[in-house]
Amino acid sequence: MNRAYIIGIVVLAVIGALSVFIVDEREVALKLRLGRIEQVGYEPGLHFKWPLVENVLKFDARIQNLDADPQLYLTVEKKNVIVDSFVKWLVQDVERFYTSTGGSVLRANDRLQAVVVKQLRDAFGSRTIQQVVSGERAEIMDQLVLALKRQADELGVAIIDARMKRVDLPERVSQSVFDRMSAERKEVAKRFRSEGEERGRRIRADADKQREVILAESERDAQKIRGDGDGRATEVFANAFSKDAEFYALYRSLNSYKNTFNNSSDILLLEPNSQFFRYFKDAQGKR
Amino acid sequence: MAWNQPGGNGKDPWGNRGSQGPPDLDEVLKKLQAKLGRMFGGRRGGIPGGGGFRFGAGGAIGFGAILIAAIALWALSGIYIIDPPEQGVVLRFGKLVRTVDPGPHWRPRFIEDVIKVNVQTIRNQDIGFRRQAASVSSVPHEALMLTEDENIVDLQFNVQYRVKDASNFVLEVVDPEITLKQATESAVREIVGRNTMDFVLTEGRAQVAAEAETMIQEILDRYRTGLQLTTVNMQDAQPPDPVQEAFLDAIRAREDQERIINEANAYKADIVPKARGEGAAILQRAEAYRQRIIAEAEGETDRFLKVLDEYRKAPAVTRERLYIEAMESVLAKSSKVMVDVRGGNSLIYLPIDKLLGSRPGSADEDSEIGAGRDRSVPQTSRDDAARTRSGLRERTR
Repeated sequence: MNRAYIIGIVVLAVIGALSVFIVDEREVALKLRLGRIEQVGYEPGLHFKWPLVENVLKFDARIQNLDADPQLYLTVEKKNVIVDSFVKWLVQDVERFYTSTGGSVLRANDRLQAVVVKQLRDAFGSRTIQQVVSGERAEIMDQLVLALKRQADELGVAIIDARMKRVDLPERVSQSVFDRMSAERKEVAKRFRSEGEERGRRIRADADKQREVILAESERDAQKIRGDGDGRATEVFANAFSKDAEFYALYRSLNSYKNTFNNSSDILLLEPNSQFFRYFKDAQGKR
Repeated sequence: MAWNQPGGNGKDPWGNRGSQGPPDLDEVLKKLQAKLGRMFGGRRGGIPGGGGFRFGAGGAIGFGAILIAAIALWALSGIYIIDPPEQGVVLRFGKLVRTVDPGPHWRPRFIEDVIKVNVQTIRNQDIGFRRQAASVSSVPHEALMLTEDENIVDLQFNVQYRVKDASNFVLEVVDPEITLKQATESAVREIVGRNTMDFVLTEGRAQVAAEAETMIQEILDRYRTGLQLTTVNMQDAQPPDPVQEAFLDAIRAREDQERIINEANAYKADIVPKARGEGAAILQRAEAYRQRIIAEAEGETDRFLKVLDEYRKAPAVTRERLYIEAMESVLAKSSKVMVDVRGGNSLIYLPIDKLLGSRPGSADEDSEIGAGRDRSVPQTSRDDAARTRSGLRERTR
């Protein structure tokens, strides 16, 4: 009796378990009845199905991350750049997603990656590195999103975003960039030093010039002052001496004699016939 | 990971709860026992008090007891605790029903699931470098990036963030933290790509970090990662290693430039004032000369005029006297040889060198023809003049 109860409960439990399914917040679900799609668009929660005849497929509903290996692209100048991009997408149309990819995230990633590669190849092939790196970066990403969205409908996914992470030069090119940067810096360094030298020399020359000018002007003014002094002195002399020019001649000559012969090393050979010696031989002063 | 996997079974509620449950639990159990007893065991289950479970006493009673115990266990296992830094995301049959704050909570096990997320702790992500214990190693493929002018810079970022929205963090994105890293790299490179190297390495550092923060947050929100940035630090912005030396040299060159200019300015500051001083000195010397020469002229002429005055009073005598005095002075100081041989044809031998050696030189101070100052101690000119006059008188007699 009791045994029958228990068996009954167990059987009911098994059937119950087979006829419910849970759709998580992070999932989307698809119900198949004997291989045909029966229902999609389940809200998260508990749902029912017929056991055995119906089965449920569940896919990740979160935002997926497609982050493939970096790819090489050629720019319009035939330079290689390494580009690393990522795409954020999520499953939107479960039915189409299931039919087009078999519900495989990996397969969807492959399909999207192919679009990325093609789109970026086109985009880079018509642009210079400079445009790619700075000017039109946002534009390229916008176009990439558009291209992906066209493909996305087919895959039953929604593209949230696609962005380029790295846009870099390959190793070998990097080296030449480094060389160029070094050369530029060397140039800058040389210019700094030379300009410093230039300004330094200007300043020194200016200083030297100022010194010369200051000294020369001072000398000029000094000569003026001296000249003024000389002039005044001459004037004074002239005023005084012109009062008796003849006496001045005497006075000045005598002073001059005294100043000229004032040393024992001055040897005078004299004849006693000058006025000075008038009385030298004759007290009467006669000749 | 920081948050527990669905179910949160790692922490056993039993261990945590222990003593808090029993009083209520007993009542719950009794009520359950009573109800179940009525259902399954007819009269027996209704016995109040401590009858307890009698296993094996009868099939129905035993079954009921097991069931009660199982339900009790189930109820107890539904108790869980959210620690202070955490939030719990509660899913009922996979559907988000609520998020719960720190504290004790209960859920019907198997029906509701709790995912705990640490929403307070600041998390950290390094981009461009990795920390290992004390050492920091660069990750070139993350750190090196192209600038607008096609130079390469080496940037190292540190991004700090926390979970803002636990349900988004858990439910919306496959790997929020990888997404954060992607967003950071993408944003930083985009911003750096829009700017020149000089700007990024020098005055633009803060701006790059600020712009990056805005852009990263915008991307994170768009992806519904539930993450909130707290800081974006630009740890390091440098030229790449291979060009480091050239950059340092350029910086040194700038310093050199400054130094050369400063030295030149110092030179200027040294010589120009000196020159000005020298110029002033020259002028002063000239002025001194001028005043001296004028003063001398005035002195000399004064003296002359004085003598002239006296001369005019007795010209002949004064003339004579002046002449004789002058000649006296000249001859007194000089070596002299009197040759009083008129028209002689004999040759005179004059040993000049001996003459020179024979008398010591007698340099004299300024003693000009005048009022006989050389014959007396200095006196005033008026006295001199008076004396001269008396002297003259004497001589005329």
